[in-house]
Amino acid sequence: MTSTRPRQSLRTEILESRPVNLDGFVEEWPEKGLVAMESDFDPAPSIRVQDGRVVELDGTERADFDFMDTFIADHAIDVASAEASVAIPSAEIARMLIDPGVSRGDVLAVSRGLTPAKILDVVKLMNVVEIMQGMQKMRARRTPANQGHSTSARDNPIQVAADAAEGALRGFAELETTLGVVRYAPLVAIALQVGGQVGRGGVLTQCALEEATELELGMRGITAYAETISIYGTESVFIDGDDTPWSKSFLAAAYASRGIKMRFTSGTGSEVQMGNAEGKSMLYLEIRCILMAKGAGVQGLQNGSISCIGVPGAVPGGLRAVAAENLVASMVDLECASGNDQSFSHSAMRRTARAMPQMLPGTDFVCSGYSSVPNADNMFAGSNFDTDDFDDWNTIQRDFQVDGGLRHVREDEILAARNKAARALQAVFAHLDLPSITDDEVEAATYANSSNDYPLRDVLADLKAAQSVMDREVTGLDLVKALESAGFHDVAENLLTVLRQRVSGDLLQTSAVLTADFTPLSAINDPNDYAGPGTGYRLSGERWEQLKKLRHVTSASNPETEVG
Amino acid sequence: MTSASPPTLNAADYPLSINRPELLRTPTGKPITALTMDSVVSGDLSPADLRIAPETLQLQAQLAEASGRPQLAANFRRAAEMTAIPDQEVLAMYNALRPRASTAEQLAALAERLEGTYTAPVCAALVREAAEVYARRGLLARPEAGGDADAGAPAGSPAATPVTTAATAAAARADREEGQPA
Repeated sequence: MTSTRPRQSLRTEILESRPVNLDGFVEEWPEKGLVAMESDFDPAPSIRVQDGRVVELDGTERADFDFMDTFIADHAIDVASAEASVAIPSAEIARMLIDPGVSRGDVLAVSRGLTPAKILDVVKLMNVVEIMQGMQKMRARRTPANQGHSTSARDNPIQVAADAAEGALRGFAELETTLGVVRYAPLVAIALQVGGQVGRGGVLTQCALEEATELELGMRGITAYAETISIYGTESVFIDGDDTPWSKSFLAAAYASRGIKMRFTSGTGSEVQMGNAEGKSMLYLEIRCILMAKGAGVQGLQNGSISCIGVPGAVPGGLRAVAAENLVASMVDLECASGNDQSFSHSAMRRTARAMPQMLPGTDFVCSGYSSVPNADNMFAGSNFDTDDFDDWNTIQRDFQVDGGLRHVREDEILAARNKAARALQAVFAHLDLPSITDDEVEAATYANSSNDYPLRDVLADLKAAQSVMDREVTGLDLVKALESAGFHDVAENLLTVLRQRVSGDLLQTSAVLTADFTPLSAINDPNDYAGPGTGYRLSGERWEQLKKLRHVTSASNPETEVG
Repeated sequence: MTSASPPTLNAADYPLSINRPELLRTPTGKPITALTMDSVVSGDLSPADLRIAPETLQLQAQLAEASGRPQLAANFRRAAEMTAIPDQEVLAMYNALRPRASTAEQLAALAERLEGTYTAPVCAALVREAAEVYARRGLLARPEAGGDADAGAPAGSPAATPVTTAATAAAARADREEGQPA
């Protein structure tokens, strides 16, 4: 407090102390790409096709293509329809996106021929409500879902197993982990795989690591899918990431060749944050990423700014651009795991608002992911939502009758699942000669909130054991054997069924998840058929009855009691 | 069951694990129905039995094609070829395709190995296409020794340049206790 400052109003003092004013905001700087989606420096749409080859793309002649232009022109754009599609007025395509009389398939017939600048030109015409309308129709899978983060600040495998079981029970279709100490990865990935199958059969797990290690864990059947395969919208930043569209395409096929589901990751703001946006808007560059992913033949994309959300979050219209990038992924027929996965604001109101453009229309994965551990334990640097927000999320689903992929679960069920997951992991560790898990740790896991609530592990012994898991070439099959021999028949059977899925390849198709009865649900057998009011995915029946339940709901027949 | 000519599939056959399990075999020749808990316990199953067969990837490619997803189908066809390549070599090939990791000759040799040793013409074509673009964009390794030692910054380590100072400062303010972009 200095006496030289002019006197502030009491109201200003209150506003100054509001959490939103701890957030960072900056002016636009289009010359450097610090602009969401409206920049005079973005190219104008154009295309010219000669002899079945794109020879001009968005004002650039083929001789001057950088590798993004080349890859998009040669792999993403349908040359047969491109000139006709780009010639359609942008306003007409934007209307197709929101017109319930135009089917998703009709839109795809046009969008497959569009250039990055043309797509930008289309979505620039749409306000955020129109973007949501478009998303409602263009999402590839009819049934929305959600993804959780299950990590531990101490990389404690018992915590990860118990939280995975609870997360699966609450409804996450996919669970993702990563590490503080990377060498812990094998033990934590095993814990996630075992715990997830306790909560509900068919949950898919992944462990975010450097590309080659991530693939290796997948090949061994210790994880079920992968998504941290980053791509970027400028050639220079792509090279900084030590990859090219061709190396990433090769990697995409490598995953599929092992039967492993995979999606790429990109997002607005990454190029400017990495220092070379080449003077283009964040959304234009993200659209290039989306089309690159499409051209690579990968089934889906995690986008929505992801770990760079602070950048679009700081500029005008930034969250509109983030909603638009999700829509673009869906409108070119990719699975979209739509962000909401990194903390970006101190304001609870702003955090909630940020998720509405994905939660209300529904996306393939509304969050990618939601922290199913307290944020202090979130090794992805904190998510936009965490365990403290479970009841709020469930209430919002009930208020608006929307399916955000989660549900309220009774305490006794949660405790039983957490306890079982910890015991199952205890048995697996014993079977594999890994450092023992004590009954005290199992008890702690049953009732814990965060990593602070567990006895400390012998980290050195764990790390040695983690190395031995790799050296001994432990596979998913060994986990099945361990579970079965210890009497966890149902968990063993669940895991075997997940592993068997890779033999069928069904989870490689667009937007595939496994239901609790192990039915693969993808854009092929659960295609989004939205055609206006009363059609498409509607929250109804048994699922709606589930979502009506909250922690405290007063009984109508006996107001003295609560139901649920 | 007969492997003489592959069946013609459409979207109604999906999911194959439920609608057409009789078409699914492991690379070791077992039907998918043989992957039971009994066979796990008795030790009859090895990790090789839990891999996808190239024929299955071709079936999934058909389904992708029939669903209007030609790029996804092409990815599955590359993948079908890659099933023959050992894990470590797949990773090595991926690394060879990173920027400035290989010379033109090395990429040509890689394409030949794919085509000759692994009968992988679709993958070989992708490598040749990369080689052509890398040559044009200066992304081939320099033949002289040591020339490529500094090629490529590690992933996820963005350079802080004056260009991004304003943005990253804003982001850092919001992400005070948090960490790295990825």
